[in-house]
Amino acid sequence: MEIPLAQEVIFGLVIGSYIALGAIGFTLVYGLVNMINFAHGEFITIGAFVGYFAVAEIGLPLPVAVLVALGGTAVVGWGIARITFEPMNDAGAVPLLLMSIGLGLVLRNGIRAIAGPDRRNIRTDVATYRFDDLGFFVTSQQLLIIGLTLVSVLVLHLFLSRTMLGIAMRATADNEDLALVSGIDTRRVRNAVWLAASGLAGVAGVMLGTAQAASPTVGFGQLLLIITAAILGGAGSPYGAVAGSYILGVAVTVSVPFLQRLEETLALNLELTALNSTMAFVILIVVLLVRPGGLVSAEVRTS
Amino acid sequence: MTLLAVDGLRRSFGSLVAVDGVSFEIEAGEIVGMIGPNGAGKTTTFNCILSVIDSDAGTVSFDGADVTGGPPHALARRGLVRTFQQTRELETLTVADNMLLAAPEHPGERAWHAVGRTSTSAQREAAARERAMELLEVFDIAGMVEEYAGNLSGGQRKLLELARSLMLDPKLLLLDEPFAGVNPSLTNEIVGHIEALNDDGMTLLIIEHELETLTDLVDRLIVLADGQVLATGPPAAIMENEEVIDAYLGG
Amino acid sequence: MSDGASRFEEFPVDAVHVGLTLFVLAVLFLYSPLFVQPPGGTFTVLEVVVLFLLYAMILVGLNLQFGHAGLVNFGPVAFFAVGGYTAAMLTANEPFRAVGLGYPWPVGLLAAILVAAALGVLLGISTLRLRDDFLAIVTLAVAEIIHGLLETQSDITGGSLGLNNVPRPIAGTTTAGDGAVLVSTIIVFGALALLFYGVFRRLSASPYGRVLRAIRADEQVTETLGKRVFRYKLAVFVYGAAVAGLAGALLVFYNGAAAPGFFTINVTVIVWIGMLIGGAGSDRGVLGGLAIIMSFQLFTRFLNDQIPFVTQDQFASIRLVLIGLLLMVIVKYRPEGIWGDADELGVES
Repeated sequence: MEIPLAQEVIFGLVIGSYIALGAIGFTLVYGLVNMINFAHGEFITIGAFVGYFAVAEIGLPLPVAVLVALGGTAVVGWGIARITFEPMNDAGAVPLLLMSIGLGLVLRNGIRAIAGPDRRNIRTDVATYRFDDLGFFVTSQQLLIIGLTLVSVLVLHLFLSRTMLGIAMRATADNEDLALVSGIDTRRVRNAVWLAASGLAGVAGVMLGTAQAASPTVGFGQLLLIITAAILGGAGSPYGAVAGSYILGVAVTVSVPFLQRLEETLALNLELTALNSTMAFVILIVVLLVRPGGLVSAEVRTS
Repeated sequence: MTLLAVDGLRRSFGSLVAVDGVSFEIEAGEIVGMIGPNGAGKTTTFNCILSVIDSDAGTVSFDGADVTGGPPHALARRGLVRTFQQTRELETLTVADNMLLAAPEHPGERAWHAVGRTSTSAQREAAARERAMELLEVFDIAGMVEEYAGNLSGGQRKLLELARSLMLDPKLLLLDEPFAGVNPSLTNEIVGHIEALNDDGMTLLIIEHELETLTDLVDRLIVLADGQVLATGPPAAIMENEEVIDAYLGG
Repeated sequence: MSDGASRFEEFPVDAVHVGLTLFVLAVLFLYSPLFVQPPGGTFTVLEVVVLFLLYAMILVGLNLQFGHAGLVNFGPVAFFAVGGYTAAMLTANEPFRAVGLGYPWPVGLLAAILVAAALGVLLGISTLRLRDDFLAIVTLAVAEIIHGLLETQSDITGGSLGLNNVPRPIAGTTTAGDGAVLVSTIIVFGALALLFYGVFRRLSASPYGRVLRAIRADEQVTETLGKRVFRYKLAVFVYGAAVAGLAGALLVFYNGAAAPGFFTINVTVIVWIGMLIGGAGSDRGVLGGLAIIMSFQLFTRFLNDQIPFVTQDQFASIRLVLIGLLLMVIVKYRPEGIWGDADELGVES
């Protein structure tokens, strides 16, 4: 059955929203702490489990669970970063990267050892709104994730442009040494970054828990999409990351029927659609090679 | 004989024109100073000559050949060698390795010679080591030969960088602020080395922010301001030049 | 002491000579009627030794890339996999559902090296100008793409089942059973691993290695001292790729089969952690590190059978938690590893 384009775009926006919530945090950490955090996916997983616990064990309604996951994951993520990354802030990009890989292994498998590999779906009531004339439908869940992402982006924008701390963050991202000598407390800025990045990851986690399930690898599965979106948007730029996420989300969704048709036309059985997850990697590499600065521009080359 | 000829060099960063049509020549055997206020485009000119960064327009010819945009490693092998404003030792290498690394045309730097442990490689290494020790003696840091460069003092680093660039037997040595952050006695020492090198026939181009050190040392000064050559001539004439005085006091 | 001359001196026996001699002896041994039958309970250990020798070949290349030249290659398994599958697809006789061309094994071996090296050239030319943390991401992504292709392109690679009916040249030289094959394999692979260690050691301990370490310290300065930085980076990338490709071919010729499960990201994780434990840049140290991490895996495998109340899945998770913790502790408290040189790596411990 052919799925209408409008429907594909909606799916794309939903996927883009999940990616965006992760990618904003990832790119803030990249821009302000100068590290690629391979454990960012695990922050999402923590959010999913916090959300599952809040809904299934305590019986909180979903909107409250989202807030609980936001706050809970923010604090947990910040705490973890304080113990692991902050003491070696000056060590350079590669040691921090290796540290985050180690942390990712510990968190992902630690959660798996305790919770088991089971998938725990966060059950919620879902209403479906059909627009048969226009050929698509949306669910309340889909509207919620898109809405949450838009609210997050709005709040982030107000924070970055209207508050002293947000302005300090942008200054630090531009030039940390300069920010330091002009009296900005960069330590406070980094604390804020870790809280914001983990909190947003927590929200993404809850929503992934409702759409898929809370499982030990739910966040890790998002990681390369997140990295791709962040680089696509110009690593370090939160607005770029949002744009990159939606472009990527729509591109991945729309490419599926396109690849199916391509295969039919060529009368080949290359199982291109099975490569869907691989598509993200291909996009990532193409972006890094063709336009390494992303949509905007950032220094990723050595010279 | 003209050793280096720079013609119409231009480079901008966004809307800022850092180097705006710089032209000058350097004769073999000269010591030339390049001065100018901060932001005059001295280091950018250096970087464009050595194609560390690409220039937007203009040509550079060195020793009779057009070397515009040529890869930096090729320029080094032609005998156009530079030092950096902030000393850039290879801190994780020993002083000896810093020196030996700079030895040109070392067969041991090719994989076949390295794996085959050829005698030509061993001979070159021995010759390079001898030359390195000579230079380290001259610069009075031979005692640090097995020390990691990262453990040297600031002054020793300056000297090592100078000694290392001499391993390449440069025809023209470009020194980027060799006296910046250096105490007076070391300044005198470096001035002595520069004069000795020039007596042996080496050509030098020295960037400096301060005028004082250079006036006695150089044959000729090139004054840059706002990315352009403001004046060029013997130090005494430059010191009298109204425009130069304005640029320094105004800038 | 790290300059060329003293690096030469610190080594009484030359690994290249020993490796070559051992290889000749190993071949003679294979074609002789002699064989060695190991004790019955040691098969599990010997299997791990075979893997250790193959991973060691990958690691000597990786150590030249990262430990000496500072290139963050997070995808060594990509070349291992490409070598393995090239060899398997060229030599397999009627595999279940995949390409199998049935050529003799030396063709597969040679092609494995060439194809892996070609991938190295292609990837190197396009990515080696990227900053190191982005190079890490691209190489990791390429490895994942290749793994994804192996799993999904069933008509070519056999998908998740892989290919069987790949020739087993070493197994063909004896009829004395699996144990004797294991011992013969270890002797041959051991000789090769030693030989590659020796060759890469000679590279790193020579003026060539000095240029690599200068590149790690400061590319721009190295370039202004007259070195073709990009060419060196590309060369070590390709050397490592070629040897990893060969190791992949050896693995499939040992197993008589290729499957995606041999070539997962776990291979990358193990060789990297081995390198960091031993001390990146220390040629012997990294192999010691690899031995430590692989012994740990082997030991915990035995341990699993002894502990009640812990499921196999939980145990596997706990093992990975420990490996992750080990990585974190090394990076934080001993970035130069056990045998590495903190001054040379520019780190403080």
